[in-house]
Amino acid sequence: MEALFANLSLGFGVALSFQNLFYCLMGVVLGTLIGVLPGIGPVATIAMLLPVTFTLNPTSALIMLAGIYYGAQYGGSTTAILVNLPGESASVVTCIDGYQMARKGRAGAALGISAIGSFFAGCCATIIIALFAPPLAEVALKFGPAEYFSLMVLGLIAATVLASGSLIKAIAMVILGLLLGLVGTDVNSGVARFAFGVSELSDGIGFVSVAMGVFGFAEIINNLDQKEAREVFTKRVTGLLPTWQDIKDCTPSILRGTALGSALGILPGGGALLASFAAYTLEKKVSWNSANFGKGAIQGVAAPEAANNAGAQTSFIPLLTLGIPSNPVMALMIGAMMIQGIAPGPQVMTERPQLFWGMIASMWVGNLMLVVLNLPLIGMWIKLLTIPYRMLYPAILLFCCVGVYSLSNSPFDVMQTAVFGVVGYIWVKLECEPAPLILGFILGPLMEENLRRAMLLSRGDATVFFQRPISLTMLLIAALLLVIVLAPAVRKKRDEAFVEA
Amino acid sequence: MKIMNGKDFWAGLMFIAFGLGFLLVARNYAMGNAVRMGPAYFPTVLGGMLAVLGGVIFFRSFLSKISHPMKAFPFRLWFVVGGLILGVVAFYTQPPRDAGAVTQIAHMLLAGASIGLLFAAFGPRSLWVILLSVVVFGYLLKPLGLVVATGLLIFGSAWGGHEFKTKEAAFLFVALAIFSVFAFVKGLGLPMNIWPAFLE
Repeated sequence: MEALFANLSLGFGVALSFQNLFYCLMGVVLGTLIGVLPGIGPVATIAMLLPVTFTLNPTSALIMLAGIYYGAQYGGSTTAILVNLPGESASVVTCIDGYQMARKGRAGAALGISAIGSFFAGCCATIIIALFAPPLAEVALKFGPAEYFSLMVLGLIAATVLASGSLIKAIAMVILGLLLGLVGTDVNSGVARFAFGVSELSDGIGFVSVAMGVFGFAEIINNLDQKEAREVFTKRVTGLLPTWQDIKDCTPSILRGTALGSALGILPGGGALLASFAAYTLEKKVSWNSANFGKGAIQGVAAPEAANNAGAQTSFIPLLTLGIPSNPVMALMIGAMMIQGIAPGPQVMTERPQLFWGMIASMWVGNLMLVVLNLPLIGMWIKLLTIPYRMLYPAILLFCCVGVYSLSNSPFDVMQTAVFGVVGYIWVKLECEPAPLILGFILGPLMEENLRRAMLLSRGDATVFFQRPISLTMLLIAALLLVIVLAPAVRKKRDEAFVEA
Repeated sequence: MKIMNGKDFWAGLMFIAFGLGFLLVARNYAMGNAVRMGPAYFPTVLGGMLAVLGGVIFFRSFLSKISHPMKAFPFRLWFVVGGLILGVVAFYTQPPRDAGAVTQIAHMLLAGASIGLLFAAFGPRSLWVILLSVVVFGYLLKPLGLVVATGLLIFGSAWGGHEFKTKEAAFLFVALAIFSVFAFVKGLGLPMNIWPAFLE
């Protein structure tokens, strides 16, 4: 316990320095901004800002990027409630009851309760990270290559199981991602694989290009495909503070949402999106008010909003302790750490305590800033919603292009990103989820490296993965997950859950 | 046999193509053995798995209970053929580095036309107009400078959308050009020239 306080006070010391407060504020403001604006998410934004972080010190850079992710969860709910559009994908379920509340003239209460729920969840999640990350990192320090390989298998399987849509397509996308990740010079032999003599490709396909093409460009084009019909409740948002009755009604929902969200955030493949879906489904089952769900039940706003914020934050746990990303945003965070010359993994906590604890403390600080940004200043964000999309997307495109170009000052990267824009568009049309592909892409080289090392150490004996207890456990969990999802009863439920939400 | 699910049909074909593609290209590299894996080992295993999964998805499309039309997205085969032909021509007619400006520009236009056709083969108009303006931005940023490239990107991409209003696009261009000059070049110090290279 004492160590925890010492660590947290170290963290707050770092997070409360003027410079880090500034970047934290930048992050949460940007996060709220892109959360409010439909058509651009945290993945594209973080990808866009990666080149900028070159110039910052690592702690400030990561504090800012983290702020974008959880800030987007706050902003997304504003759009969901007022416009019935998910400003951010994790707020899809907030649309259902939040918009109904707005139509009944209770937009203020819905916005208020989602900010309160998010803040409570954010505080809890910060404590959970501080409590759980150190012991997990300790375990991870004992991992050998076999354990790491099995862990990645588990992570990738979990990511496909938890993705919506067809399981087999998701697995195929993971493998395609792994393969694309292998493009470039092989570390062991020095052979430039799949480069076709293109010198830029021998450094590998740029991760930012893939993420930005698939989540930025392809998304914009899909948005343009769908005609926009917005009905914005901007005129009369009054009474931002929910009544006592509202708060009493929502307390259990917020608690349940926070608990569920925190747990799902830690899982590989989890994060804000899954957390909000699951929380809504759970709340609909257990709440006394379930009859009113879909008609403007305040619990249907409070629970998923608490859950998505909790999930957004706890998904940092696998990143910080194992060096394994659980969702595309975390994959980008790995990219940001590598740009700064930090190898993500359990050693980060011991070698760079300022960075680790500073980032955790900044999350609490950032949540406090977000409440201020989102409650008293809500009017400013609502104004943004009146800007039509046709004015926004050229600006988004420009920022994306400048970001990609400045990665290495070469037009090739821009071209590559545009190609992934086309491919990403086709994937969406063929119902192939890109999120598992991104995870595979970042893990491809790591997985090959660990597989090689494990096999070298075991002299080619593949049973090594089953002989070591931790490795075996992880493979068994992965197999179990697959069996559970393939079981007909669960499969039906899973389909229902995603359809409902 | 009737194809029920067009989306699965195309997705299956795509995965098979990628799987076999990686598998075939990997044959150029050393395979190694299980103890010392060569550069071909992991890609071969994964490529094989991908091709098999693609096959399953492909066959499933005949039995699927969910039905989707075969036309999952707009596709123009002739554009692909034309683009590939122009691309091959451009590849083999690459002018030497010391060639005159006219030759260089002519070759760039040829390569550009090939790329443009390949982009235009897929998706709705917005897709290729927008992505092509992105590519144009990337390749002309250095020779023409940030302001002109921004103008091309903004007007191009705004024109690609459904409602194009010249006044709005012009306003956006002015605002964004000023913003990006001050934020990116002056503020962040990104190495970009503001005006065309031949004017500076």
